[in-house]
Amino acid sequence: MAPKYKLTYFDVRSRGEPTRLIFAAAGVEYEDVRLSFEQWPPIKPTTPMGGLPMLEVDGKTLSQSMSIARFVAKETGLDGKNNLERALADAFVDEIHEPLAAKIPTLLAFTTDEKAKEDLAKEVDQLIAEKLGKCERNSGSVGHLVGNSLLWCDLVFYNIASYIEAYKPGTLQNYPKLAKVYATVKANPRIAKWLERPAGQYGV
Amino acid sequence: MAPKYKLTYFNARGRGELTRLIFAAAGVEFEDVRLGHGEWGPLKETSPMGQMPLLEVDGQVICQSGAIFRYAAKETGLSGAAGWEEAQVDMFVSGIDDLQTKLWEVRFERDEAKKEEKKTGLATFVPNFLGNYEKLCGSDGHLVGTSLTYADLAFFNGMHDILNDRPDALEKYPKLAKVVESVKDNKGVAAYIAERPETRM
Repeated sequence: MAPKYKLTYFDVRSRGEPTRLIFAAAGVEYEDVRLSFEQWPPIKPTTPMGGLPMLEVDGKTLSQSMSIARFVAKETGLDGKNNLERALADAFVDEIHEPLAAKIPTLLAFTTDEKAKEDLAKEVDQLIAEKLGKCERNSGSVGHLVGNSLLWCDLVFYNIASYIEAYKPGTLQNYPKLAKVYATVKANPRIAKWLERPAGQYGV
Repeated sequence: MAPKYKLTYFNARGRGELTRLIFAAAGVEFEDVRLGHGEWGPLKETSPMGQMPLLEVDGQVICQSGAIFRYAAKETGLSGAAGWEEAQVDMFVSGIDDLQTKLWEVRFERDEAKKEEKKTGLATFVPNFLGNYEKLCGSDGHLVGTSLTYADLAFFNGMHDILNDRPDALEKYPKLAKVVESVKDNKGVAAYIAERPETRM
């Protein structure tokens, strides 16, 4: 019997979406639990490390967003075909996911103070330029960051890239190899289907 | 014949030490290149992402400390049993990375007021962190499973500054204290630590 996966996260993309994208790309079913921020406080003490996302598998619980994503990628064969490829995929994930996974949605939806918004925008702009530059330099040119088939690093990248495009549309045009990765992920039939669903309650 | 693995980093523990400990614990030879401040500049341009540490293997260069130590752990058999155990090891190491980042943030904060604020934050964060880890920790002297994994090494490494300042910091956390002892007892680690340069960071 196939394992039962239950992912619990807030009703946003941010740190939970990479795992959702991996499940989608692999065509693997899972329970996609989404909490509002109000629901969180009573649940917090029941989590392993006081944070989300968390993944429950056959009664056991895992936390830390990228540990979860990496685990699901391995379970679904999307982590890479040998240790070296896995390491190269990891390097992209480590570079691109934090801190933008939280900073961009915070900027887009959860910062109201004008001065704070301005400061955060400056920080985000700098991070985007720096990180896209590094990723472009190292990316493969066939529509995948590493190798020649879809890996989880493409999906982790896609999550951040879609935030970047929401924040400053057209940014990826300056990074042709990355733009190709973005387009390849979007065109994946299972991902395309996943992307049709409505946005969560917070719009990010 | 030259070792298969070549690690390049500053002469510091920082983001390179966990990889060094992994190779040491596994008894795997590696070239431990430590650059002085002037030496990095010219190399920076040719590195994949303009940062260290770097690991060279079979003509390929890997960057990003996390990618490197995860790779080293897999290559040396210290990443835990494939599947769930490996994921748990990964989880513990990610959490320790959070701790180290917070410790460094305090250390490098120049503004006195902000530094005090961050120190106060740490005073809550660290006991919370240790409490969580003690709860989740195995009772055999290993965070996960019944033999050494790199999670144990990461914990030992991450706690370096705290234990230096307060050797009794793990008094209330007996399972975690046992993990630190297990790491110290590892022959490869003990030998490496006896020889490694003393560095501030």
